[in-house]
Amino acid sequence: MLKLSEVTLSYPDKTKAIDRASFALGQAENIALIGENGAGKTSLLLAIVGILEPESGTIEIDGTLLNKTTVNELRRRTGFVFQNPDDQLFMPLIYDDVAFGCRNAGLDEVETKRRVEETLASLQISQLKNRSSLKLSGGEKRMAAIATVLVTNPCLLLFDEPTAFLDPKAKRALIAALKQMKQPKIIATHDMAFAAEVCDRVIVLKDGRVTADDDFSLLENQEFLQSQGL
Amino acid sequence: MKQKIQELYTLEQLSSGASAIHRLHPSVKLLTTVVFIIVVVSFSRYDIGRLVPYILFPTVIMSLSETPYTLLLKRFLVALPFCIFAGVTNIFFDTEPAFVINTIVISNGVLSLVTIVFKSYLCVMTILILMSVTPLAELTNAMRRLRIPYIFTVMFEMTYRYIGVLFDEAHTIYTAYSLRSSERKGIKIADMGTVVGQLLLRSIDRADRIYNAMKCRGYALRTMAYSRSRIERSDYIFGIAVTVVCIGFRVVNVNALLVGAFGEYA
Repeated sequence: MLKLSEVTLSYPDKTKAIDRASFALGQAENIALIGENGAGKTSLLLAIVGILEPESGTIEIDGTLLNKTTVNELRRRTGFVFQNPDDQLFMPLIYDDVAFGCRNAGLDEVETKRRVEETLASLQISQLKNRSSLKLSGGEKRMAAIATVLVTNPCLLLFDEPTAFLDPKAKRALIAALKQMKQPKIIATHDMAFAAEVCDRVIVLKDGRVTADDDFSLLENQEFLQSQGL
Repeated sequence: MKQKIQELYTLEQLSSGASAIHRLHPSVKLLTTVVFIIVVVSFSRYDIGRLVPYILFPTVIMSLSETPYTLLLKRFLVALPFCIFAGVTNIFFDTEPAFVINTIVISNGVLSLVTIVFKSYLCVMTILILMSVTPLAELTNAMRRLRIPYIFTVMFEMTYRYIGVLFDEAHTIYTAYSLRSSERKGIKIADMGTVVGQLLLRSIDRADRIYNAMKCRGYALRTMAYSRSRIERSDYIFGIAVTVVCIGFRVVNVNALLVGAFGEYA
C-alpha cells in the first residue's frame, strides 16, 4: 500500500527532518509512529502527501510513485487528519467542511450530500451538520475533522496526534471509530496506550531516523524507550 | 470575538438557502451584478433622481431570496464612512447652487455627496446580496469560468477564507496579553509593534497549515470544484430581464416620463 525508500527531507535551515527513512505499510496494517517532539513525525506524514518534497528517496502509494504529476491524484486517495482540527475546519458549517473534498473531486451536489450524510452518520455526528466549528468541543471537532477525510473514501489514512485536545470519553469514541475504519493507517502519537489499542506495529523515529520497526512488545523495553527520549 | 468571527461568515451561511434566487446559475448572478454596478456607476454625480428606480433591484432580490435587510444594512454601515470621506470635499469645492428647497440652497457639492453615498449603497448592497445568495465556491467557480485572471480569484477566495483566521489569532494573542497585563485595558502602544508583528507571523503560519489541509483534500488553485455547468432557461430569462431593465432605466429617463404623465393627468 505504502512504500518509503531512503526518504530524506531537510528544513530550510538545512537540518535534516527525515534521514533516509524506509518502511512499507501493508493493506490491513496500522502503524503507530512514535518519537520525541521534533523527531520528524509530522514532517514524514506531510512528505507522504506531497506537502513537503523529499530531497531524495521515493514514496509509493498503491504502486504509484509520488511526484509532481501524481501528487494531486495521490492526495485524493489519501486522508490526512491534522493535529489541530481548527486547521482542517475552515468553512462556515460542518456540512461544507465535509463536502469540501467531494466538491473538489468533481462530485455533483446530490452525490456530495449523500456521502456527507452517510459519513456523519457513520461517525455518529449527524447532529453537527449545520453547526459552525467555532461552537464545537474538542472531541466534536476531531470527529468532524475525521469526517472531512473519510467522505472521499481514501485508501490510506494518516493521523497526526489524533488524541491531542481529547478527554477520555472523546478518546474512547475515537478509538471505536478508528477500529471501524478498514483502511491502513499511520498514526503519529505520543499516547502509547492509545497506539497499542489501534495499531499493530510501531515505528520509532529519532532525529529523523527510523530507529525501530517492530510490534508492540518493543514498548515494554523501558531502557530502549528512554534512549529514544520517550 | 468568537461571535464576531461567526458573524463574519453569516452571509456564507445564508448562501445555502433554497429560494429561486439561490437556485440561479452563479455565472448569471455574477454577470447581472456586474451589469447593475456598471450602469449605476455610469450616471453623473448629480443624477441622484435617475438612480432612484435602481433601488428596485436590491429590494426585489432581497425579498425573493428572503435575505435579512438589517444584516446587509449593518455591513453597509461599515463602508459608509469611506463613501462619505470620498465625497465630503465636494461640499467645499463645488458650491454652485443646484436647487432650493423652501429657503435652503442645496449646492452641487451636497448633491454629488448624496449621489456618491446612494451609488455606494446600491453597489455594496448588490454585492452583499450576491454573497448571501451564492456559496463562495460557486462564486469563485463562476469567476474562473468567466476567465477572470486566476490571481484575482485566488486572492478573493483566500482573503475571504483567511480573514477569520486573522481574527481568531488576534483573539488568542489579545487574551494571552490581557491575562498577563493585570488591570490595564487594551494593548500598550509600546507593545503594539510586537503584537501586530506576532499576529502577522502567526496568521501566516496558521494560513499555511489551513492551505495544506485544503490541498490534502484536493484543492488546487487553478482547477474548478464541481459546480452547475448548464445554464437553464430561467437563468437566461433572469439575466436578460435584469440587463434590459437596468439599461432601459439608463437610456429612458423614467422620472421625466412619470412627471410628464402626472402633469398630463393633473
